[in-house]
Amino acid sequence: MIMTRCEPNWLTDLRSGAWQAFERMPLPDSKAENWRRTDLRLFRFDRFPLRQPAAAEGCGPLPEALLAEGVRLAGQLRSRNGQPIESLLDEKWASRGVVFEALDTAAVQRESLVRPYLTDRIVHPTADKFAALHSACWSGGTLLYVPRGVVIDEPLHVLSAMSEGGTDFGRTIVVLEAGAEATLLTETASDARDGSGLHCGAIEIHVGPRAKLRFVNLQNWGTGVWHFGHQKAVLAEGAELQWTVGALGARLAQVEQQVVLRGRGAEAQVNGVMFTEGKQHLVYNTHQHHEQPDCHSDLLYKGALQDKSRLVWRGMIKVDRDAQKTNAYQRNDNLVLSDHARADSIPGLEIEADDVRCSHGATAGRVDDEQIFYAQNRGLTRKEAIRMVVTGFFQQVFDRITIESVREALGEAIRRRVRDFV
Amino acid sequence: MNETETMKMAEFVPVMKTSELPEAGKTVVEVGDRIVALFHVSGTFWALDDLCTHDGGPLAEGQLDGHTIACPRHGAKFDIRDGRALTMPATQPTVAHEVKVEGDQVLIRLNEP
Repeated sequence: MIMTRCEPNWLTDLRSGAWQAFERMPLPDSKAENWRRTDLRLFRFDRFPLRQPAAAEGCGPLPEALLAEGVRLAGQLRSRNGQPIESLLDEKWASRGVVFEALDTAAVQRESLVRPYLTDRIVHPTADKFAALHSACWSGGTLLYVPRGVVIDEPLHVLSAMSEGGTDFGRTIVVLEAGAEATLLTETASDARDGSGLHCGAIEIHVGPRAKLRFVNLQNWGTGVWHFGHQKAVLAEGAELQWTVGALGARLAQVEQQVVLRGRGAEAQVNGVMFTEGKQHLVYNTHQHHEQPDCHSDLLYKGALQDKSRLVWRGMIKVDRDAQKTNAYQRNDNLVLSDHARADSIPGLEIEADDVRCSHGATAGRVDDEQIFYAQNRGLTRKEAIRMVVTGFFQQVFDRITIESVREALGEAIRRRVRDFV
Repeated sequence: MNETETMKMAEFVPVMKTSELPEAGKTVVEVGDRIVALFHVSGTFWALDDLCTHDGGPLAEGQLDGHTIACPRHGAKFDIRDGRALTMPATQPTVAHEVKVEGDQVLIRLNEP
C-alpha cells in the first residue's frame, strides 16, 4: 500500500518506519491512565480496509456539511475516505501565497514547504498503535499555510466524509506565519447517521508569533465509527488560538488534545461541546502545557449525555518551572439526561512555577425538575422545556464561540438530538 | 429501543461449551456488542456485564471468591448471581444476564439495565 503511493523516498521511508512500529506495538494498555476508561476489546483492525477505492468510485453525494451553511468561504476542501474530491481557494488568497489543499498533494508538489512539518512532527508519530497506523497510512488531509502578515477575513472549510465501513486517515496541518490570521472550520460526517468505520487522524497546528487562528473541529461521524485522534497546537510568542471542539458522533472516540504555549504572552482558549446518545463512549484527554511566562489558557468543555452513553474528560494543566505569571483555567460541566448515562471528569494540575494562577472545576448534574415544571406552567411542552434547559446549559460555551455559523450548527444539532428521557 | 434490538434481547446466544470453563473459573465472552463476564461456580454458570459500575473496570480480571467477584482496580465487590454491588466504592449494581445450559452448550440472553 505504501509503495504504490508514488511519493518521494523520504516520505515512503517515514511511512515504512511507522508501519513497522504499528506491527510491533501492542494495543494501548488498559492500565495506562489515558486508556483505562476506553474498552478496545471489541475493536478489530482487520474489519477495516487500509486501502480505499478512489473517491469517485460508487459513491453518492457527500453528507451535509453543518458548519459552512450560509457562510462566504475563502476556500473549501472535500474528501471521502481520505481521498480528496474537491479543492478550492479564492484566487485573491492564492495570489498572496496562501496554500490550502490536500496534504498528500502538497507533500509531493510543495516539498520544501511541507517536508519540515512531516519529518519533524509536533505529534509523536508512534505515540501509540493508532498514531503509528495513522503515520503509515495517512492520506488526503489538509494543509493550510498562511504567509507572514496575511490576514484571511473569510473562513476556510473542510469536510471529511466516510462511507459505510470506510476508513479515514486524514491529517490536518495548519501553519500561520508571524502576524497571519485565519479561521478554519473542519468537520467530519458519515454517509449514514449510524454509519460505521475507522478514523485514525492527527491535527498539528503551528501558530506563529502574534498570529491568530480560530479553529473549529466538529467530529460528527456516524455512531458506529471508531475515532482515534492526536491533536496538538504549538503557540509562539504573542500568538492567539481559539480552538473549538464539537463531538457528536462516533461509537468510541479517544482523543488526545494538547495546547502548548511555547512563546511568551501566548493565549489559548479551548471550547468543547459534546452531546452523546445511544451507547456512544467518548474520551477526551486535554493538556494545556505552559512552557513560557505570561501565557493564558482557558478551557471549557461542556457535555450532555442521554441514553446509555458515556463521556470521559481528563484534563491536565502543566506549568513548567520557567512559566511564571501563568494564568490557566480548565472546567468541565456535564448534564446527565438519563439514569444510565455516565460522565467522568478528572481535572488535574502539575505546577513547577511558584507565581501562577491555575484553577479548575468540574460539575455533573441532572435537569432540574423544578425548572421543567416552571417552564411547563408557562405553556411549554415537557420536550420544549428540556430542550430549553439543554440549550441554556450550553449557552456559556456558545457565548465564547465567535463564529455565528458554528454556534448555530452546534445548537441546532443538539436541539435535534434531545429526546424526552428525563 | 427498536424492534430488532428487542428480538435480539429475547434470544439466547450460544457462547461456549461447558467443558471450556472449569469449576470456579471465569472468562469473558462477546455477545453482540457487549463484553460479558461468565462465571462457573458450584456447577452453575452466571453472567454479568464485564463492567464495574464504579470506574468501568473489567470484573472478570478480578478475584473470584465463592459468588463474589472483586474489581481488580479498586476492590469493589459484586454478587455474580444478580450483579448487586456488595462493597464500596461501587454503589450501583452491574447488569446480570440470563444463562442456561443445553446439553454441553452455555447460552446467554442479554438483559438491559
